[in-house]
Amino acid sequence: MKSNANVSIFTSGVKYQLKRDWNLIIFKSIFLLPALAFLVIFMYYPIEETFRLSMMRATGLGDTVFIGFDNYLRLFKNDEFIAGFINVFAWSFWSVIIQIPLAFFIAFSLSVYKNKITSPLRAVYYLANILPSAITAMLGRFIFAPRYGVIATISEKFNWTWLGKIDFLGDTNIVFWSIFTVATWAYTGFGIIYLMANIEQIPMELREAAELDGANKWQYARFIVLPMIAYPIRILAIISTIGSLKLFDLPWMLTGGGPGYSTSTLVIALYKQGFVNWQYGRGSAIGVIIFLLALIFAVTQFSLQGKEGSVK
Amino acid sequence: MFKNKNITILLVIAVIVIIVGILLFPGVQNSIKTVFKGGKATGPVKLTVWGRDLPNDDPAHAYIRAVVTGFRAENPDIELEYIALGDPGLMDKTKVAMASNKDLPDIFQGWGGSVMGGYADAGRLLDMTKELKSIPCSAAAREAMTWKKKIYGVAPFFAIAGLFINEDIFKANGLKIPTTIDELEAVADALKAKGIQPFACGARDKWPPLALYMYLTDRYGGINAFDDARTRKIRFDSDAFVQAAQKYQEWVKKGYFGEKPLSEAYGDADNLMATGKAAMQVTGSWKCAQYASKDFTDQNIGFYPFPVLPGGKGEITDMMGMVDIGFTVTKAAANKKDAVVRFLKYAMSVEACSAEKGRICAVPGVKVPTRLTGMASEVFGKAKAIQFWWDQDLPPMITSPLNDTLQTFFMPESDVVRALTKYEELAEEHLGPAKEI
Repeated sequence: MKSNANVSIFTSGVKYQLKRDWNLIIFKSIFLLPALAFLVIFMYYPIEETFRLSMMRATGLGDTVFIGFDNYLRLFKNDEFIAGFINVFAWSFWSVIIQIPLAFFIAFSLSVYKNKITSPLRAVYYLANILPSAITAMLGRFIFAPRYGVIATISEKFNWTWLGKIDFLGDTNIVFWSIFTVATWAYTGFGIIYLMANIEQIPMELREAAELDGANKWQYARFIVLPMIAYPIRILAIISTIGSLKLFDLPWMLTGGGPGYSTSTLVIALYKQGFVNWQYGRGSAIGVIIFLLALIFAVTQFSLQGKEGSVK
Repeated sequence: MFKNKNITILLVIAVIVIIVGILLFPGVQNSIKTVFKGGKATGPVKLTVWGRDLPNDDPAHAYIRAVVTGFRAENPDIELEYIALGDPGLMDKTKVAMASNKDLPDIFQGWGGSVMGGYADAGRLLDMTKELKSIPCSAAAREAMTWKKKIYGVAPFFAIAGLFINEDIFKANGLKIPTTIDELEAVADALKAKGIQPFACGARDKWPPLALYMYLTDRYGGINAFDDARTRKIRFDSDAFVQAAQKYQEWVKKGYFGEKPLSEAYGDADNLMATGKAAMQVTGSWKCAQYASKDFTDQNIGFYPFPVLPGGKGEITDMMGMVDIGFTVTKAAANKKDAVVRFLKYAMSVEACSAEKGRICAVPGVKVPTRLTGMASEVFGKAKAIQFWWDQDLPPMITSPLNDTLQTFFMPESDVVRALTKYEELAEEHLGPAKEI
């Protein structure tokens, strides 16, 4: 009898458990459904369509024809695509080499040397980051434009003919750096805020201990702060690299990807192939390449997370 | 039990949300409207027109303003919805609508040519030959709106490329209007020596250099040179194209376009002309209104045919032209042809066209608004052959690369022959190989 009761209790417990799980599944599914529908409609389906279209000859009008990997093969003979490919990797490299050290230097200075102007300075540095790209590009043009630009006016005012002769937006050897300078001003603000948030999490005791041991500011930065924020710096480098792959707005608005293809990027090539040249298949192929490259960097980012714990 | 109730409520809410969502979907709404109206349109006919410019007080928008306000006043039974999309918004939105074959307007502003032909071939346009063939207009304007012998719209204004000259600068420096390329070069050298930039261009925008290149190619190779390349009788890197490109680059190296031509946009070129810092510009006659306006410039600017090349095949009467303002009818207007024809007839009326301040009108009987437009109209009137603007005549797949190629002429170190050969390779992919070896 005792044994039967146990079974009964056990059985009812199982039944109760099963019923409860089933309800929970429905309950969770209903809440997950909108997000899942959103992802499928606006993300997975377009990704699948992009892959499919990249294998087609498609003008957007009339029938699409399956051509296998022809779009990809032709891209590697296309000057604009090759220039865009080289430019985004150069951009990515110099972003890591220049923008991140600059962001660290400013973030460290603002965190360590605190005074009355620190807070307004944070806002000033971040301001460029929240400006719409169109405004940033307009400011860039206002600085570099020939005849009426800030630099042209200064060179005329002080009779610096050497400066006036530099064609910041028209010389293929210089234009990349002109745009990169504007981008550095615009995008470093995010890095500054991100690194500042991490620097300020370093316990005060560590700084005090370093000071007691006679460490100066440079040694504190080199031996305490840098090792402590090495992981956020790596994450910033990955964000910066993925951002470079998606680079479009500033080069497009400042130079249209020119002169020639000297400031073209992968996304500019995609836009022009798809929406200007009516080559939707080839544009999709560029989209797939960008997607795969971004995926590689994203996987790298996740593997870093796996090793070091959650992203700060 | 309580939990079951909760789930039931959530399920009911989810079903309601889905049903409301479906009902709010525009396609479903339209179907419901059709069912309740018995499939017939009721009330005033609605005509949707996509245009480029706002119908506001801007003098450059005077014509479109006259069309919209005048048509509404004269046709109260037609509800005109005019949507100004700007540039390049109009082209982008039209392209997307045509590709998706959804939400097409009844009429859109366009430039005819091969782009319109692409839409026509895809079955997106409405054949209006019967309705429009009797509307009086110039032969060039009608031809531009015709594709495979079918008329798809009207073009009240037609533009030609020509040589804008600052007559004040020429007079002050004792220069004569050039009629040959040699004279043009002599004038440019003289201007440069006086510290005046010979040509304004706007090469940063890629498309403005095309006008001069079209003329140079014509003057070397004749009016058929481009058409022969387009129809694959010759290559795009054959003699006429190469000679024209080399001459272009020679002028760039001589500084005819200023020290930083690739940094200057088309708007900058306008300002150079308006302020007398540049003396000449090869561009479309659409600039006539602006250059004739005393609010825009205090310079006296004239319009002349592009000089001829002694020994070359091109004639001074060969012109490069395109639709300046055109309207194309889509298949969405199939059930409202009457309203469409009334709109297009009004757009082509003397009353509406007379509001325009500068463009060359394709409609007979419209008075020339300014001296400058008169000069352009006179040049147009003497044309014996008209070649449509290349980027309106080539398939879209190779028009933007053409403009990219032309920009390389402005780079002193670039190899123009290689650039043209690369362009030819692209042309072969889309137009087929050329017959010449």
